Amino acid sequence: MVQYNFKKITVVPSGKDFIDIILSRTQRQTPTVVHKGYAISRLRQFYMRKVKYTQQNFHEKLSTIIEEFPRLDDIHPFYGDLLHVLYNKDHYKLALGQVNTARNLISKIAKDYVKLLKYGDSLYRCKSLKVAALGRMCTVIKRIGPSLAYLEQIRQHMARLPSIDPNTRTILICGYPNVGKSSFINKITRADVDVQPYAFTTKSLFVGHTDYKYLRYQVIDTPGILDRPFEDRNIIEMCSITALAHLRAAVLFFLDISGSCGYSIAQQAALFHSIKSLFMNKPLIIVCNKTDLQPLEGISEEDKKLVLEMKAEAMKTVIGQGGEPTNGDGVLLTMSTLTEEGVIAVKNAACERLLDQRVELKMKSKKINDCLNRFHVAIPKPRDQKERPPCIPQSVLEAKAKQAAQMAEKEKRKTEKDLEDENGGAGVYSANLRKNYILANDEWKDDVLPEILDGHNVYDFIDPDILQRLEELEEEEGMRQAEEENEDFKMDGEELTPEEQAALAEIRKKKSLLIREHRMKKSTAESRPTVPRKFDKDRKFTTERMGRQLSALGLDPSLAINRARGRSLSRRGRKRERSLDKGDNDAGDAMDMDVDQQNKKLRIRSRSRSRSKSRPPGEVAPGEGFKDSAQKVKALKLAKKSVKKRNKDARRGEADRVIPSLKPKHLFSGKRSIGKTQRR
Amino acid sequence: MRLEKCWFCSSTVYPGHGIQFVRNDAKIFRFCRSKCHKNFKMKRNPRKVKWTKAYRRLHGKDMTQDSTFEFERKRNRPERYDRNLAENTLKAIKKIDKVRSNREAKHIEKRMKVKKSKERREAAKELEQSIHLVKPPSVLAQDPSLTLPKIKVKVSQQQTEENHAMEE
Repeated sequence: MVQYNFKKITVVPSGKDFIDIILSRTQRQTPTVVHKGYAISRLRQFYMRKVKYTQQNFHEKLSTIIEEFPRLDDIHPFYGDLLHVLYNKDHYKLALGQVNTARNLISKIAKDYVKLLKYGDSLYRCKSLKVAALGRMCTVIKRIGPSLAYLEQIRQHMARLPSIDPNTRTILICGYPNVGKSSFINKITRADVDVQPYAFTTKSLFVGHTDYKYLRYQVIDTPGILDRPFEDRNIIEMCSITALAHLRAAVLFFLDISGSCGYSIAQQAALFHSIKSLFMNKPLIIVCNKTDLQPLEGISEEDKKLVLEMKAEAMKTVIGQGGEPTNGDGVLLTMSTLTEEGVIAVKNAACERLLDQRVELKMKSKKINDCLNRFHVAIPKPRDQKERPPCIPQSVLEAKAKQAAQMAEKEKRKTEKDLEDENGGAGVYSANLRKNYILANDEWKDDVLPEILDGHNVYDFIDPDILQRLEELEEEEGMRQAEEENEDFKMDGEELTPEEQAALAEIRKKKSLLIREHRMKKSTAESRPTVPRKFDKDRKFTTERMGRQLSALGLDPSLAINRARGRSLSRRGRKRERSLDKGDNDAGDAMDMDVDQQNKKLRIRSRSRSRSKSRPPGEVAPGEGFKDSAQKVKALKLAKKSVKKRNKDARRGEADRVIPSLKPKHLFSGKRSIGKTQRR
Repeated sequence: MRLEKCWFCSSTVYPGHGIQFVRNDAKIFRFCRSKCHKNFKMKRNPRKVKWTKAYRRLHGKDMTQDSTFEFERKRNRPERYDRNLAENTLKAIKKIDKVRSNREAKHIEKRMKVKKSKERREAAKELEQSIHLVKPPSVLAQDPSLTLPKIKVKVSQQQTEENHAMEE
């Protein structure tokens, strides 16, 4: 089944465009470079190829045009006639014929010139032959330029034709202009046809689709027909006539009862009679429209007679089940598209009539016998007069009755929603959700129980036997506390007395002192000279000190002091000078040698020692750690220098005056091994 | 509305605080503040982070097993409301709280006591061993008490006589 869809026809280019397309393609798709020096066969081949290629392209394109445009004899007569009405069959065929001849001509040209090219002897000659061939082909196309333009126009118009399937269920609407056909189709389908007060608003056929009893119906709106002799009709009217003639459809003849279309009922009746030949074998319904302006009963006698005449004609087309038409109502209907009364009735009547007719036809045709057995409903013939109603079991009846009762009850019972509405609506009234709680005591319904208490969730603690457990806990706690008191008495034995604590504190102080001293010594060990004890610079090893320490320990120091003094060298010397009276227990013999050696120095000193004299700064005292006076002088100098405050005025000095290199070469020249040298 | 426990530090998360993280296996982690949340994201184990309750319980710093913990249990079946029960529960919560806090305090006290006794023992030992730094052995022989030695101060006779006169 060919879909009557003329949208798929390829665009027909105009003459000039056609030539341009083909020639440019030839230039692109064939080799372009050729030189004088090539072999002659190569040259010939080159140009022959171009000519043949051009011819092929023309042939292809023209063939597609010829094939794609429909042949008026091969398509459904409805479309054939429609296209004839619109475009004139002859012109159409002529145009296509011209295209065909053009194709043949081009083939011939190409053949001739290829033959000539075979004997071309120079590049120039071959080239001229090719130019001539191509030129002639192009002139052929130029000559059929108008036909191509015409075909393009037809193609554009055909693409916009409505896609009407001539074989399916169709309803056709016809009548005078402005009677309300387009409004009707707008009402029953989703088509959106222009409705305007002037005649011939609808200039072509429009299709809409509607459903009835699960089947799809095409509804075709036609332009209005005037009552004229056939030959005088214009293209637009011819469209509707064609549709009427060829489509097997139910026809709705629209009648404007009120006469507001500008034509009287008499004129409309005249039209009806003139085209009634077209209604052969089609279910016809006469529809009286615009009853809101003028009801059917209110028209004049003459008009009524005319209408009844039309009805009589229409009756003839009714195919009843027996012989006589059972209902005359299905032939003459009234409606008003403005108020929408009767519209659906009209549609249903039309669809029903059409369906009946089609079914009848199908039944009569041969094909139906193949599937007739598939839809046969067997109804048993009643053998006696006994009534046999359907059997419903008792339980089902009871269930149904109960359900019905429940429904009734639901309507009677007051719902929460009703309550809400009574008390002020959704925002004002809030339902008491606790109303239906089942508790041991109804007073408790409104109780608010806190969810959180002291950082605990109350719900985690709720337990029916919580009281009992709490009692157990308290007992346990009591016992524990008793035990703990007993234990507390044990611990107190080991306390130290305050004197002992003082002693301990003293011990710890001494220990920490020792540790600190040791640490200081350790850290300075590298830079401190190791001086033997006898050179005691800080006077740490004096007898007074020893005496103090010993007495702090609780011992009597006097004996120890005396002994130490007796052994001391400096004192020894002096003692020797003056007298031996100062109680000296020691033998002191071992010391004699040392004393004699030291004697000289000490004697000099001790003589002039009426008053103590400090040493001159340059002189090195034993025990200081210096090699000689010069070293000590240097050390003193350094010490003094280090104490001097540093000049932090930041004034420019000698070192600051010279800028060694303003532009060091290595920073301002040279390429980088990798990377850019954008900045230096 | 429920008070939840922070997964990391085990403190209570009140409504409106903290962040809840739901993992792909539908396990829910609740955090009381961003500190815990960030620690979690760093994949730290709360059992190793000193300030969390998990660490403290694991290392015996806080009380772990006690009968007071049995009272607080998440119940899934709600009990039918009973006013007396509710009253009793509310009162009980307070008492249980008190008992529990007492017990926890005792636990910590016990823990602390151990150090004290140890300290005392060590002090006594140190005193005994190092008394020679302040009290020479000769003095110790005479006065065996572990105290500082008495410093003899030489005072002239005349003054003492005068003092006696003053005192009277």
